[in-house]
Amino acid sequence: MAAQKILITGMGVVSAAGMTIPETLTGFAAGIRNLGQTSVSLSPLNLPVFEVVSPLRGSTRASSRTLQLAFHALDEALSNAGLSYDLSGLRVGVCMGTTVASQLNDMDFYTAYRKSGKAPLAPVETFLKSNLATAISREVKARGPCITVVNACSSSADALGVALGWLRNGFCDVAIAGGADELSRIPVCGFSSLSVFSPEPCRPYDRDRQGLNLGEAAGILILEPESIARRRGVNSTMFVGGYGAACDAHHLTAPRPDGSGLETAIRISLIEAGVQSAEISFVNAHGTATRDNDKVEGTVLARLFGEGIKVISTKGFTGHTLGAAGAIEAVFTALALREGWIPASPGFENKDDEIPIGAVREKSGLTGRYALSTSLAFGGNNAAVVIGRTE
Amino acid sequence: MNIAGIGIVSARGRGVAALEHALEQGWVPPVEVEARGVACGKVSVYPVTADTLGDKVVLAKARRADRFIRMSVLAAADAVQDSGIGASLDKTRMGIILATALGPHVTTFSFLDGILDFGDAAVSPTAFSHSVHNAAASYIAMTLEVRGPTLTVTHFDFAFHQAVLLAQTWLNDGRCDSVLVGAVDELGAVMQSVCGQMLKPAADGRIKPFAFSTTPESVPGEGAAFFLMTRDTAGVGYGLLEVIEDLPVPSSGGSLQILDACGMARDESAYLAAVMPGISVAAYAPLFGSLLIGSALNAAAAALMMKKQKIYVSPVQENPHGLMICQETKPAPLRDVYCTRLDCVGRRLTLHLGSASLLE
Amino acid sequence: MHDQNKEQQLIEIRAKLKELLVSNLNIEGVTPSQIKDDDALFGEGLGLDSLDAVEIVVILQRHFSVEVKDMEKGREIFRSVNTLANYIYETKHGQG
Repeated sequence: MAAQKILITGMGVVSAAGMTIPETLTGFAAGIRNLGQTSVSLSPLNLPVFEVVSPLRGSTRASSRTLQLAFHALDEALSNAGLSYDLSGLRVGVCMGTTVASQLNDMDFYTAYRKSGKAPLAPVETFLKSNLATAISREVKARGPCITVVNACSSSADALGVALGWLRNGFCDVAIAGGADELSRIPVCGFSSLSVFSPEPCRPYDRDRQGLNLGEAAGILILEPESIARRRGVNSTMFVGGYGAACDAHHLTAPRPDGSGLETAIRISLIEAGVQSAEISFVNAHGTATRDNDKVEGTVLARLFGEGIKVISTKGFTGHTLGAAGAIEAVFTALALREGWIPASPGFENKDDEIPIGAVREKSGLTGRYALSTSLAFGGNNAAVVIGRTE
Repeated sequence: MNIAGIGIVSARGRGVAALEHALEQGWVPPVEVEARGVACGKVSVYPVTADTLGDKVVLAKARRADRFIRMSVLAAADAVQDSGIGASLDKTRMGIILATALGPHVTTFSFLDGILDFGDAAVSPTAFSHSVHNAAASYIAMTLEVRGPTLTVTHFDFAFHQAVLLAQTWLNDGRCDSVLVGAVDELGAVMQSVCGQMLKPAADGRIKPFAFSTTPESVPGEGAAFFLMTRDTAGVGYGLLEVIEDLPVPSSGGSLQILDACGMARDESAYLAAVMPGISVAAYAPLFGSLLIGSALNAAAAALMMKKQKIYVSPVQENPHGLMICQETKPAPLRDVYCTRLDCVGRRLTLHLGSASLLE
Repeated sequence: MHDQNKEQQLIEIRAKLKELLVSNLNIEGVTPSQIKDDDALFGEGLGLDSLDAVEIVVILQRHFSVEVKDMEKGREIFRSVNTLANYIYETKHGQG
């Protein structure tokens, strides 16, 4: 595989855990969980969700809330990377993951269609302008490849993998990769119907976990090969080491019980990064807090990294943010490596006897240079991303 | 990348034989269906028939699958079958990339029906899980027991092109030894109403790809096309596939350009500047209908022509700009086929099929 | 008299359930009458899975106005058409 490191030269994140990276880190250190109930306008189901309540930057230029979230995170990422909004001088690729923003699932639109028999066109026009990657590409005048990944809950982890592929093959100089998803009535109803929604704040990896909470977020990473970064006069100690993906080919909504798909994805990501499992200092797990996910994932992590591996699920801070999850968790993973600590895994108290590992109960220092972020999705897709620190 | 096998599902049927038959037969009239909200109450479309999707053997594990999934699974399974190398492929080293512009919207709307009819607390989890874009790729993986990376991507203009580009990285990087890459879009009642209002219907049922009109005429269609891609030139000789941005100066013999103009864009006038000089041009959208992922169907036609070393007559010949349109079906030595697509702001991507024997 | 009435209602519930299972779960190659009252619905029996289980919850809600709050405890209820019918009957008659 290509010898050149793919650096993370900029990061941006917005979620219920914070509007910026500094705010997120402060919240993580204090263990703050900004959880609210679903508002009646979102869904009459009275469920806890992680909503972004502060105003978003760039809200006027976006045609959907998902896009607003994405632009908000993009601002921070571009600024960190020393890039402007006019990237026409570089060959920039844009790859974003989402779930909600990919569908024409506007309730008002559909209600009007059912009533009058005529599909109103304004929401369709908005929908056609809201393809996440296309909209970002247009915003920054990008000239490179551009695609929106719609791989359910692993979408934005896979988006990072797509960006890696582009950069390694020279299809672009710089990649804007990440994901965004807004809270929406559709997944609130959908996950509720699957009986995986927790009526209380989610408790990833805990014996008494009752399921997930949904959240909304956006995470953006600016990726570029060392040589390009050097030419631009920027440097970074953080890089994406490897990406692995594998499909369960088992069931639409249930993970393969033996976790072999996830295991393959992780093994490939480690091989790509050229690191041994012993070099992984912690795992930012998918950890949705559903019975199945945590059991299968925890078993695989114990098998590959031993029962002493430090595991955290940041979903206790953000909820499950679907198409944004992989990206914001990659950002959190990079931040932890950079800052040298991980927060206590929110909601975890009691170890589950059916899972060989538990999550970290308190804020812990890190010494290693590598960490892993995992994603499991509807449809049986598994993705793993290795993040590294050069020094 | 080598095209080892192709699978196609469209209004003209399923499989390479049906594709060949459609190319031989030429244009057939579309079907008139009711479309609410359209002035005349009707819209002409090219729907995939229920018969086409009735394969109970391939779809044995797909009892809950909707039409979007069925089209995808059949096209993907056929591509592997068609290659003749399915048995020798390592399924742990096979990837899937499914491209779609509009996704499984019929099931999405059916899920919304559930919310509106029964309330938020009594919706169908089956409808929800099938309304996500990647359900179809998951069914392909389950049906074919593919254990490599599985990805679903979306883009309104170039979904299939981006998927092909990505497949290229997977093969180059050694992530996979083979990749099933394809595109699918479906047509449902809501989309028929939308198309009926937003697009200018072709009054005579014929898409006119060479009109390069600022108000192009459309006949909405649906379908799926999958390509089994490998690094080595395995399979049955469809040639090589790559995505290019700039069109080369074509060699005068053995080159053909296919225009993906189909009436789905708001303005097709920029196609005129994208016509390659000195070579024949064709367009097969009039066979399958107007689709945002129509490039995949045209590329399947191109692959077949490459294999057969045969050019098929362009089904609608209206030629206001005096182009060198393919006027008859005849054997022809083909080295390069360029399938060119433009988006509504004139951005251009081309799928280039090249003859494997000549490039080696 | 009461027992006869109960048995009659159960027969009707079971028949309706079988129709709904076949149509709503898209069970292929099986007609409602071919499902036996005591056939296992999951695993080796009809071959239903976890997604069907949550779909059955919705069928009970929509067509019988019966709720299943706890899927884990609901395991026994979901064993067969018989157990489902009994659960529906008992819930509706205040014994559930």
